[in-house]
Amino acid sequence: MIKYDITTLSNGLTVIANHDYASQMAAVNILYKVGARNEQPHCTGLAHLFEHLMFRGTHQIPDFDTPVQMACGENNAFTNNDYTDFYITLPKENIETAFWLESDRMTGLNLSEEACQIEKRVVIEEFRQRYLNQPYGDTNMLLRAMAYKVHPYRWATIGMSPDHIEKASIEEIHDFYRRFYHPSNAILSVSGDIPSQEVFRLAEKWFGSIEDPKYEIRPIPQEPEQKEARREVVERDVPATNITIAFHMGDRLSKEFFLGDITSDLLAGGDSARLYDRLIKQRSLFATVNAYISGDVDEGMFIFTCQLLPTTSEDEAEQAIWKEIEDLQRGNISDYELEKVKNKFEANTLFGELNVMNKAMNLGYYSMIGDLSLINREVDIYRSLSKDDIARFSQNIFRKENSSTLIYRAKNR
Amino acid sequence: MQQPELTIPSKINVPLSALHKSRNGVNIHVINTPEYEVVRVSFVFHAGTRSQSHPFVASATANMLAEGSRDYTSQQLAEKLDYYGSYFDVNIDRDYAYITFCSLKKFFAQTSEVIEQIILHPTFPDKEVATYCAKRRQQLTIERRKVETRAREKFAQAIFGEEHPYGISYDEKEYDTITRCQIEDHYRRLYTAQNCMIVCSGSISDEVLQQITAIAEQIQSSSETFDDKIPSFHTTHSEIVKHDGALQSSIRMGRLLFPRTHADFIPMQVLATILGGYFGSRLMQNLRERNGFTYGVFSAMVNFQHTGYLAIATQVGKEVTQEALEQIAYEIDILRNEKVDEEELLLVKNIMAGEMMRILDGPFGIADVATENILCGFDNRHIQHNLERIRQTTPEEILSLAQKYLDPKDLVTVVVGDIE
Repeated sequence: MIKYDITTLSNGLTVIANHDYASQMAAVNILYKVGARNEQPHCTGLAHLFEHLMFRGTHQIPDFDTPVQMACGENNAFTNNDYTDFYITLPKENIETAFWLESDRMTGLNLSEEACQIEKRVVIEEFRQRYLNQPYGDTNMLLRAMAYKVHPYRWATIGMSPDHIEKASIEEIHDFYRRFYHPSNAILSVSGDIPSQEVFRLAEKWFGSIEDPKYEIRPIPQEPEQKEARREVVERDVPATNITIAFHMGDRLSKEFFLGDITSDLLAGGDSARLYDRLIKQRSLFATVNAYISGDVDEGMFIFTCQLLPTTSEDEAEQAIWKEIEDLQRGNISDYELEKVKNKFEANTLFGELNVMNKAMNLGYYSMIGDLSLINREVDIYRSLSKDDIARFSQNIFRKENSSTLIYRAKNR
Repeated sequence: MQQPELTIPSKINVPLSALHKSRNGVNIHVINTPEYEVVRVSFVFHAGTRSQSHPFVASATANMLAEGSRDYTSQQLAEKLDYYGSYFDVNIDRDYAYITFCSLKKFFAQTSEVIEQIILHPTFPDKEVATYCAKRRQQLTIERRKVETRAREKFAQAIFGEEHPYGISYDEKEYDTITRCQIEDHYRRLYTAQNCMIVCSGSISDEVLQQITAIAEQIQSSSETFDDKIPSFHTTHSEIVKHDGALQSSIRMGRLLFPRTHADFIPMQVLATILGGYFGSRLMQNLRERNGFTYGVFSAMVNFQHTGYLAIATQVGKEVTQEALEQIAYEIDILRNEKVDEEELLLVKNIMAGEMMRILDGPFGIADVATENILCGFDNRHIQHNLERIRQTTPEEILSLAQKYLDPKDLVTVVVGDIE
């Protein structure tokens, strides 16, 4: 249970405070509601490039890292398809330093041609290292392009191609900054031994005078219902064949999301879960096997993935996965097994609330998805789900015509 | 607007641990933080790899504790932990084996039943031993194709001596010779009350403590312990190992020093941080930012029960191996000849204080630090002492330590790569 207070400044900045009485550290998280889904198809990867640019200093504070370290602090950031998140943890006495730095880079970023050029090179290297020069590195890109035809989820956060990053113009970068990095598109969340009123006072002091440009929010094109099974085979120089099957499922606030999450736990949460026990330990079909949800804000994916042992054929592998699916559709789930995954969910929720950084980050996230109170209700929602719910979910979602299958075949094997 | 004033914390508040003793003599250290609804229990056995009488047996014993017990199969043990959302973790170093369990407070009673099976009644079934050894042998073979693994192993051998218990490494083929008997023997000999301590944190109510004590009291007593004497060290100062086809060379440089209890340990940690302990360190600025030789370079103090060493580690493009070695030597030379700037020293002190505070944020981090302190004969008051010691370090002290300990003739250099 995370207690919090929330307010909105007159410029539209959302501010959330959690008073943690135990910790000597404070965490300041600022989430911008912009991710790869807000990009235009001809200029992808910009949200992630921009995350990098946020560390290149401002006209006021040319070096971002040193003041954080001087304050005994540590900082980092990440970008995904839905949002971009920046966080600083530091001794609570120095919390104002974080407000100073974050409010400064909301407006005064140094977006010189030179700064952009250096950071583009770094990001293109990252693209090559993590996605192109890595066995199975393009799996996610291939899968997205197959499963989505319209929604911007059809490209990965890193972008569709290094070309897009290379070609991003200085005007596009400036426009991106103005359009998405302003108070009403941000959520500031703080956890630490600081009363909420003090957090709100500091937010007003440092962010209150930042003007909010009024930008219309471009609607995100939504994916039409998939009506036919999709399938793609690629051959690559990798040691073993991987098979991935993805199904469309509901958005972050739908009941389907929780059902998808709990179903993936039944299949693949922990050493005693179904897929590991049955397909690896008992039948020796796979080297690895997993089931998970993409966890997106808009309608997302439920994904099965497995790596075949040399003795397993592709047909056998697919059949084994579909057999597990049919088992769920028939409702073959014991009370004990369901109770197990609910307990595990509850425990992991609690283990995740032990430090200020996780709490600040979660408060920002739940506010971003549009239902902050969900942060304390999810355990009860999971507790209320039944075997019949899971069977029905499996019947609705795990249909051939809702599936995209990627065979990532090992060459010469 | 003006930059806010900074306060550099002069104190870190950490709860002290309370000591309980089970009837058979096991020390149970309790750090009660009831504001967290979780329980963590670590069993620390003085049964690290240097205590083994056969290669790989110490790690096999620790890693196989949950692969079958008197009353349950490995699958049932996994199932029981998962059911209550609990998990467990095994860590082993040269000196100690650490077996750690985490659970929700409300499910600790159920979890403690599984702990009892894993700690007191492991059976090490033959079939599981065979699977474990085959898997590990394969893993180690793959690991040793990496230059950094070979450099790490070679560096320990160079520092301590090839046959020294802190330096030795074994051929992966030795996994084929492990038997269940050897594992059982290792367990019987060393997983004993005399050889064990327990550290628990989170919500440790009287009831939870009773359950932990009940397990502790069943740990076998034995008059046997292993010979804890450390043979003398035989240092080799330079090793070059050819590794065909490597695009990068792995470099390790450093020297044998002393354990955490030594008076110069903390200031040497400050020195190691200045040299290569953070993103903007001297070695990072030189090797990565100015020269582009590497993605990263680090230096740190590494501890053992009876000694410790300073190590610098990096991987560099093979064609710049020699230049990189020269630049590392150059940075060491500067430390030995020029006083560190006050501003740079202050930055490093603050980074170190912040790092300590972050580790101590939450009950699990507090327990980790407490365990380390107890093993060195300290208690959690030592954290405050360390913080003050960091603050007292002066540029003069860093200079004199560099002159005292970083004499090039005392350094050990290991390079593994596709080089002559």
